[in-house]
Amino acid sequence: MKRKKKNTMICILTVLLLTGGLLLSLFLPGSTYSDSERRSLAVMPGLSWDGVWSGRFMSGFEAHVTDTFPFRNSLRSVKALTAAGIFRRQDNNGMYVSQGYISAMEYPVEAASLRRCAERFGYICETYLTEENQVFLSVIPDKNAFLAQESGHPAADYGAIEKQMEDMADYAQYIPVSDLLEKADYYRTDPHWRQERILDVAERLAGSMGTELSDEWEMHTLERDFYGAYYGQAALPLPPDDLYYLTGASTDGCQVYDWQNGKAMPVYDMEKAMGRDPYEMFLSGSLSLITIENPQATRDKKLILFRDSFGSALAPLLISGYREITLVDIRYIHPDHLGQFVDFEGCDVLFLYSTLVLGHGEMLK
Amino acid sequence: MLFSSLTFLYYFLPLTAGLYFLAPGRMKNMVLLLASLLFYGWGEPRYVLLMGLSIVSGYGFGLLVDRYRGKWPGRIFCILSVMVSLSFLLYFKYANFFLESIQAITGQVLPILRISLPIGISFYTFQMISYTIDVYRGERAQRNLIDLAAYIAMFPQLVAGPIVTYFQIAGQLRNRTHTWDQAAQGIRRFVVGLSKKVLLANQLGELCAAFRASEEKSVLFYWLYAIGFMLQIYFDFSGYSDMAVGLGNVFGLRFPENFNYPYISSSMTEFWRRWHMTLSGWFRDYVYIPLGGNRVGKGRQLLNILTVWVLTGLWHGAAWNFALWGLMFAILLILEKLWLLRMLNMCKGLSHLYVNFFVLLGFVLFDAESLPQAFANLGGLFGLGGAPLVSAESVYCFRSFAVILLAGMIGSTPALRWLLGRIVKSPYGSRLCDLAEPVVLVALLLIVTAYLVDGSFNPFLYFRF
Repeated sequence: MKRKKKNTMICILTVLLLTGGLLLSLFLPGSTYSDSERRSLAVMPGLSWDGVWSGRFMSGFEAHVTDTFPFRNSLRSVKALTAAGIFRRQDNNGMYVSQGYISAMEYPVEAASLRRCAERFGYICETYLTEENQVFLSVIPDKNAFLAQESGHPAADYGAIEKQMEDMADYAQYIPVSDLLEKADYYRTDPHWRQERILDVAERLAGSMGTELSDEWEMHTLERDFYGAYYGQAALPLPPDDLYYLTGASTDGCQVYDWQNGKAMPVYDMEKAMGRDPYEMFLSGSLSLITIENPQATRDKKLILFRDSFGSALAPLLISGYREITLVDIRYIHPDHLGQFVDFEGCDVLFLYSTLVLGHGEMLK
Repeated sequence: MLFSSLTFLYYFLPLTAGLYFLAPGRMKNMVLLLASLLFYGWGEPRYVLLMGLSIVSGYGFGLLVDRYRGKWPGRIFCILSVMVSLSFLLYFKYANFFLESIQAITGQVLPILRISLPIGISFYTFQMISYTIDVYRGERAQRNLIDLAAYIAMFPQLVAGPIVTYFQIAGQLRNRTHTWDQAAQGIRRFVVGLSKKVLLANQLGELCAAFRASEEKSVLFYWLYAIGFMLQIYFDFSGYSDMAVGLGNVFGLRFPENFNYPYISSSMTEFWRRWHMTLSGWFRDYVYIPLGGNRVGKGRQLLNILTVWVLTGLWHGAAWNFALWGLMFAILLILEKLWLLRMLNMCKGLSHLYVNFFVLLGFVLFDAESLPQAFANLGGLFGLGGAPLVSAESVYCFRSFAVILLAGMIGSTPALRWLLGRIVKSPYGSRLCDLAEPVVLVALLLIVTAYLVDGSFNPFLYFRF
């Protein structure tokens, strides 16, 4: 009798779970974007004979069901906790947590990728620059440089990466900044560095490029929790970061123009700060071409900064040293088009890239 | 469609089970057939027609063989039926293999056919062949096309077995009972199989994928990969068989067992009585015994073993590494038949080591994409090829997969079953198990769902056969 009860219970619970999942899938309103994963979710494919015959409908349906399954974020957390807690996996989909910091394993960093980056930078120099332009290069190590070895995760040789880039980019003067950085200079839940902790980096870069920074900074706290890009990918219950940003006379008085969308914009975009990715508040996130004009500048220096997203937080700190800074992201604009928008004459040029981008040189156009 | 997919678990299964249990008695096979066609067509819409053709031809030939039983036309129809079934398999699975082999031998450039392997064709072809041969041997042919089609296309065992011969299941197709106990038993088996697949095999697969992608191979990494793959293929395939047997139980059908802890075997002879038992049984009944089996002279008997095992190898894949894999087992089985088995019986500890060592080498051969890669991987296990003893990546993988490897090793033995048996026999253990079992099963289903929601690594290894 006891066995019968147990068996009936097993059947009922299973039926409840499976049909519950089915009904919730069918009737819960689905989302089209995942804030935590920062990506669009697969939409339900249209039903057509061609789609069914080729199998596209079925694969699209599977992707849609997986992306929009009820309680998806909670289930992803269950998986991450099971992997870490029960199976003692050292990473979950390539993400790991060490000393409270989430990082993505970036290993190995292919030499071919570094070569491609150096080749793209070289192409820009050949195409647009003359001997009058001063060219600089600096490499920003990603968080793994400070976390991986200690936690036993495989890590690239960051010293070797810097050396290789320095050697291959012999058209540029190399400015090392890695000695100024430590893990606390990065957000715990995001890949980026913290603006309020990289003033020394800005000063080193400015000094090496022959200018001086004169701002007095006031630190502001963003009035919301900052869950960075890694937070959603890791799917682990960790506390949020605080996001600070610095303002001074130069950031208050400068004019920023977004050439991609043809409009003026602020240095710190408070609309984006309250949006899906608060880090995008720094110069409005991923934009291909921006100019910052500083009417209060005491020097007539101009800088063209080829950069990735790390440059967005750094550039505001450099404004006081320049009359104009042009930020170019060649992940989004082909170098061949730059001549239409950028006057390189008399400008200093800085290639400032993180190892996250240098390790994926295919991203550069 | 994969068992280990959200579509199967949360759409196909509840809807199919609902319709099945609502349908009146004689309609149940029709529901199973339609669901099976949808299940198969979900992954291979165009090959549903091929399977349909195979079923209709088998049905027709079965009737003809039955009608002319004991007369020469019956024999001809039986041979024709086997030839038609085999021709599908030969064309879709082996045509390019033959063309490439001829090209390699003669140097002549031959056109390579642009065909993909229909999922499960090796399994349903063998079932079809067994059906007509059994009819020829004296069993009654199935008059109802729906029942025969439901047997061949039965979704729980359609794409990766176990290989169920028609007369193991003919009675159940006509008349079967459904009870809570049987359904609960089925759910138990299904959840255990699903967990083996998703929680162990898929994660072990990630280890193997990391090895394949790595440019920092080391001796440690070769061994981690070899052990990882040996465990992955076991949990992948036995997990699938568990799910198939479990689903069969839910729908009132009893499928034969396919695995019985093969890695605890003390000889290859025993290993093949525990690994993919329904395939070994099929080759025994439909190839080895018709060739003369053990009733012929020693030389002929050994030749029969060789033939069966090279065919077994090629059944797993149309490539020379599979033939070599089968040949390796043939040689070991022949040696055991001649003298090795007697020696192994004298030293049990060593015999387990021997079995697992050769099975491991066999699976490295099995998993290779080409013979040169197979030899490179086999050499790598013993430090040939200049790989260092360890690399940073291999040490990391060892740390990251240590618990899964350990769980896999323990799970591939009856240790857990033995432990549970002891707990159940203890005074409070039985009551505890009664309370815990439903909770554990639901928890496992939820964790598996979590892995499916998050995971992308989910291939079934035996689908390619």
